Amino acid sequence: MTLNSRDLAYASIDDVSKLIERKELSPVEVLDNTLARIDELEDTINAYIHVFTDEARAQAQAAEAEIKSGAYRGPLHGIPVCIKDIYESGPTTCGSKSLLGYEAPEDCPSVANLKVAGAIVVGKTETYEFAYGFPTNASHFKPTHNPWNLDHECGGSSSGTGGAVAAGMAYAGMGSCTGGSIRWPAFCTGIVGLKGTYGRVSRRGVFPLSWTLDHTGPLARTVTDAAHMLRGCAGYDPQDPASANVPVPDFTSKIGRDIKGMKIGLIKELYEDNCDPKVKQPYDEALKVFESLGAELIEVPGLTVRQMQAIEWPTLFSEAASIHIRNQRGPRVEEYNPHTWQFLQYGLLVSAGYYHNAQRARAQVRDSFLKSLNEKVDVLMTPTVGFPVPPILDESPGLSIVAGDFTVYTAIFNQSGLPAMQVPCGFDDDSLPVGLQIAGKPFDEETVCQIGYAYEQEAGWIHKHPDM
Amino acid sequence: MDSRAIVQAKLAEWNITPTEEDLAQLVPAYENLLVWQQVVEEMLESRPMSDGMEMPTTEPAAIHDLTRYR
Repeated sequence: MTLNSRDLAYASIDDVSKLIERKELSPVEVLDNTLARIDELEDTINAYIHVFTDEARAQAQAAEAEIKSGAYRGPLHGIPVCIKDIYESGPTTCGSKSLLGYEAPEDCPSVANLKVAGAIVVGKTETYEFAYGFPTNASHFKPTHNPWNLDHECGGSSSGTGGAVAAGMAYAGMGSCTGGSIRWPAFCTGIVGLKGTYGRVSRRGVFPLSWTLDHTGPLARTVTDAAHMLRGCAGYDPQDPASANVPVPDFTSKIGRDIKGMKIGLIKELYEDNCDPKVKQPYDEALKVFESLGAELIEVPGLTVRQMQAIEWPTLFSEAASIHIRNQRGPRVEEYNPHTWQFLQYGLLVSAGYYHNAQRARAQVRDSFLKSLNEKVDVLMTPTVGFPVPPILDESPGLSIVAGDFTVYTAIFNQSGLPAMQVPCGFDDDSLPVGLQIAGKPFDEETVCQIGYAYEQEAGWIHKHPDM
Repeated sequence: MDSRAIVQAKLAEWNITPTEEDLAQLVPAYENLLVWQQVVEEMLESRPMSDGMEMPTTEPAAIHDLTRYR
């Protein structure tokens, strides 16, 4: 092994796995380096709720022995990964004081799939309370600090996974996403977030926020690594009613092919007039890179921010209220963050008529995107988020958040269920990351990865890491 | 009936009595919800039948069936 500790921590899964396969690097060495990194940085970043030192070391030793015997499982074998603490796997708090002490009876299917692929689960990461209520300096579980600027947050709700992966405290990790909670933290921390098609990855055992919008998927430092992780966690789950009974391909299969002549649909109606210039300028520069690679940029129909909000929030809030209302009548209601409780009350104000109208409008938006994808373009593109990475708050913004432009660009692909990926596309004036979003046809994550990879390699942001 | 009273009445259906702090958040958010409700209604597609009567041409999203669009 010739990599120093920091280089090893920031190396890609794709590179580390090749060394492991060739037996030039042991999974135990990789894990020990990751645990040392967590030990060094956790007090600064606050990415983890649980770290499984002993269990992870036992898994790494078992992986080492298995690989020595010639039974190499694939690119995740012996790779330390982290899991958002909303997935059932060992101790599971969902970021809420109300679940302190809960131990999951078994691994949920997506985590079990990753372990079968050989991944080493090094710990469980911070999350917004039930993927919903904002962590603040006043809440029980504190916010994760952004490795690029510690005064800023990591986005959410998969905040700990974003912070851990960006700081080299894991090679990749799992997030969950209802309006953007995989892509938004990936945007904030300058990494890749990949939300597969609705139904691609089992949601069973992942505490729900909104059944019709929830997705599960990975965050990683490169497109290829995200593709490896998606393959590792995906698979049909007959006990998840939304799970799609489709084959799980090698999502790296198109990676490395050029994108000359491919058509990229820009949903300008959504972002052109409201995106902060700090984000828009690097995004516009990225569009030039796509053109230089031979892709054709075409404007396609979309929807306005206000239309997006009017569909997303009543759907999310009313489904969340349905999920939590019985717990709210239980003995641990006082342990919820007060603003999470206000969010849940808000969901009870949505009328049934409005909810169903929102689902009709949502179907129209989905059909409009599918029409563009089937007739005009290969993928759709927007900035991932329209505002710079926010600072950590002392108090929750409360319900005022839903009147703002919060995660408006990402949520359209939760509403439509289309696969979508965040790829870093530069930094703003404050040296905080900025990213773009690529979405594709249902179950065509390979094309999304192909286009994301082509940009990633050409732009070179992949080589930049936080100074820690 | 003002928005505050409506919010209180709707939550009373669930045996919930919001605090003053809750209401300070919920009342303006509820008024915003009514604006969005109108935004969505204006988006909905339908076809005319007769004398102002329309038939909806869209159904609520059922995205569990995405395999059909592959």
